[in-house]
Amino acid sequence: MAGWSEKILDIDLNTQTYKTYPLDMEMAQLFIGGRGLGARLLWDMVGPEVDPLSPENVLIFTNGPLTGTGYQTSNRFSVTTKSPLTGTVLDANSGGFWGMQFKKAGYDVMIVRGKSAKPIWIEIKNDVITFHDASELWGMRVFELTQKLGQNNNRRNVLCIGPAGEKLSRIAAIMNDRERSLARGGPGAVMGSKNLKAIVVEGKDRPAIEDPDRFKFMLYETRKLLAASPLTSQALPEFGTVVLMNIMNNIGALATRNHQQTQFEGAEAISGEELTEKYLVKNSSCWACPIGCTRVSKTEKVEGEGPEFESTWAFGAQCAIDNLPAIIEVNALCNDLGIDTISAGSTIACAMELSEKGYLDSDLRFGRADQLAPTVEAMAYRRDIGAELADGSLRFATKYGHPELSMSAKGLEMPAYDPRGMQGQGLLYATSNRGGCHMRGNMVGLEVLGLPKLIDRFQVQGKSSFVILHQNISAAIDSLVICKFTNMGVAEEYFARVLSAVTGIKYATGDMIKAGERVWNLEKLYNLREGFSREDDTLPPRLLNEAPTDGPSKGWVSQLEPMLKEYYRGRGWDENGVPAQKKLEELGLMNLM
Amino acid sequence: MIDERIFEQFRDIGRDLYVAQLISSHGGNLSMRLGDRVVIKRRGAMLGNLKPHDLVETRLDKNDSGVALASTELLAHRTIYKMTPALSIVHCHPRLAVAFSLSRDEFVPIDNEASYLLKKVPVVTEEFPSGTPEMANKVATVLQNYKIILLRGHGSFAIGQTLDEAFFWTTTLEEACQIALYAKLIDEPFIEYRKMSESYSKF
Repeated sequence: MAGWSEKILDIDLNTQTYKTYPLDMEMAQLFIGGRGLGARLLWDMVGPEVDPLSPENVLIFTNGPLTGTGYQTSNRFSVTTKSPLTGTVLDANSGGFWGMQFKKAGYDVMIVRGKSAKPIWIEIKNDVITFHDASELWGMRVFELTQKLGQNNNRRNVLCIGPAGEKLSRIAAIMNDRERSLARGGPGAVMGSKNLKAIVVEGKDRPAIEDPDRFKFMLYETRKLLAASPLTSQALPEFGTVVLMNIMNNIGALATRNHQQTQFEGAEAISGEELTEKYLVKNSSCWACPIGCTRVSKTEKVEGEGPEFESTWAFGAQCAIDNLPAIIEVNALCNDLGIDTISAGSTIACAMELSEKGYLDSDLRFGRADQLAPTVEAMAYRRDIGAELADGSLRFATKYGHPELSMSAKGLEMPAYDPRGMQGQGLLYATSNRGGCHMRGNMVGLEVLGLPKLIDRFQVQGKSSFVILHQNISAAIDSLVICKFTNMGVAEEYFARVLSAVTGIKYATGDMIKAGERVWNLEKLYNLREGFSREDDTLPPRLLNEAPTDGPSKGWVSQLEPMLKEYYRGRGWDENGVPAQKKLEELGLMNLM
Repeated sequence: MIDERIFEQFRDIGRDLYVAQLISSHGGNLSMRLGDRVVIKRRGAMLGNLKPHDLVETRLDKNDSGVALASTELLAHRTIYKMTPALSIVHCHPRLAVAFSLSRDEFVPIDNEASYLLKKVPVVTEEFPSGTPEMANKVATVLQNYKIILLRGHGSFAIGQTLDEAFFWTTTLEEACQIALYAKLIDEPFIEYRKMSESYSKF
């Protein structure tokens, strides 16, 4: 059936063997692909008894029906696993080229189980799977390794871990195509725990499309819409995602100094405008992407992709650092070491606050740009204080007696948007199934950018409806799998029509979003099975109790409790956040209980 | 108690619908989904002159005392919310669009803006076009694939994430109908300027 290769590649590292078998197509149509399919497979394979860093955990790489089709931004893929950072279900997705190549290799899913006795890397050329000794590659950083294994953007693509993954840092990323990352929640540590250094893919089969004429029309219309949206045609290509820095700062929703403030006096110095004017070499893009938000930046020391807004914020405003070259350099270092920039920056900010308050004996201080790179190095190699920082802010702050200073939800460090200036964003973080994350239905579109239309960012009543809808939409988009930036110019109804054109199965917009709702509920069930409860759907006390004393968000704290009650009702869950039987029946999930 | 911020959205869009002559003094209605609840205009209230007590909050899935006060079209609104991802609905009686609905099964705009935004607007026929389950189901079913539709001889139903968005689709449709009418009156050969425009009717 067009859209799916209908094949799973199942690799057992214990024995260095593999098998292939058909994908359950009923499951595929219900969960689409990507994140949805990954969550459904993980449900069967990894239960509460499994330690995330044990051989019993799995890595499930998935693409989706749109991956590799040539539809705008159809370059993405996912990895699903149990997170070593949070203990929740974890999906991370990435762009670049690897996902497209993986699709062309003829698989929808690749499951990696077990643990190799010694370091290995895997090479996939459609039906030919080869296991290679990686003993000499172990310890190698990402940029060198990617080149050594023959990265060639349209023909051969490399996915790997760096030293952080090898050292089992719980905030380690899996990197692909040199500077793209499956970053959040520590999937790099799971790969490291399996002694798996890299997966290289060469594919040769272009995905089939059921209705080429309709597909061509949707391509044309999408191109028009992306060209007409100032965000996708001007702001992102010209300034990258860092265009948000001044916008968020101006409305008083830019978390600063470990969320002690909501505005940063140095925001202008680390803004998209500054990056473009002084450090931008060119912009670049993932496969089949007309937006081109990727920055290629250069300082005296480095030249490479990035930084993204969240990375710039994490090492910038969150650490009170307005030295943009230092941020560009530490971002490149994170990519080379294979470590999540958001968690790394926010963990350092947490340590800075602990130090300044006298809870930690270290010289880490807000504003010290010179401390960024050495601290990240120490984290990746687990040296000195880095050995403890490598496992994220919650474990670190808990060890020093102040877990409340970890700016995380369910243990995952939150990104830049301060919930006191965006009520919906706070509810989003608190209820996100993988923890404090903006990629699970970001409210910045509705609450800040006016996409599709602006809503009052301080409104509390009714806010849960928007959060639920956007969580479901994001789960659907993550299952297709395409880039969420496309949704900033193109409404989701277009994605449903493209999905129909590619697969030949008629998906109304609501059907596609319902699939997203199914995925969201399944992830919730997974977390409940892991022991998470209503108490975990919360935010750091600072955001609930400490209002900013100045700026546009002055006097506001997150009004989480009333929003959460409304959210549970709107989701069809009980007052403890447990999906009701009626909802599970409606979504076809009863057979899992 | 309905938040003042929500009332203001109803008041402003309701006034604009009246000013734009998309409703009569007491016609049309607006609603918004709040999780498992619906806020809708009270039956008989004037959209162009809404007061806070003109909004009724009721349950999405079943009746409560709110239904005694709610708009006649509550059933249609509930059904649309259950069957589509809509969070807001604008229902009104755009005059030219209704006029076009009397002779067509779909309206395919010829102007650039509506071609770009709407592609096409289906026309639905229902013998009893107000307050019946048949009408509600028919309208909601078509809205699964479109953001605005016309009920023949009656009016439009537009859905969106916000009232603002649904209002936008509504005014876009009426503007497109005006342009189509003027083009018809000018009665000169149409020069196609859009690529792949033949695909619009298949959208």
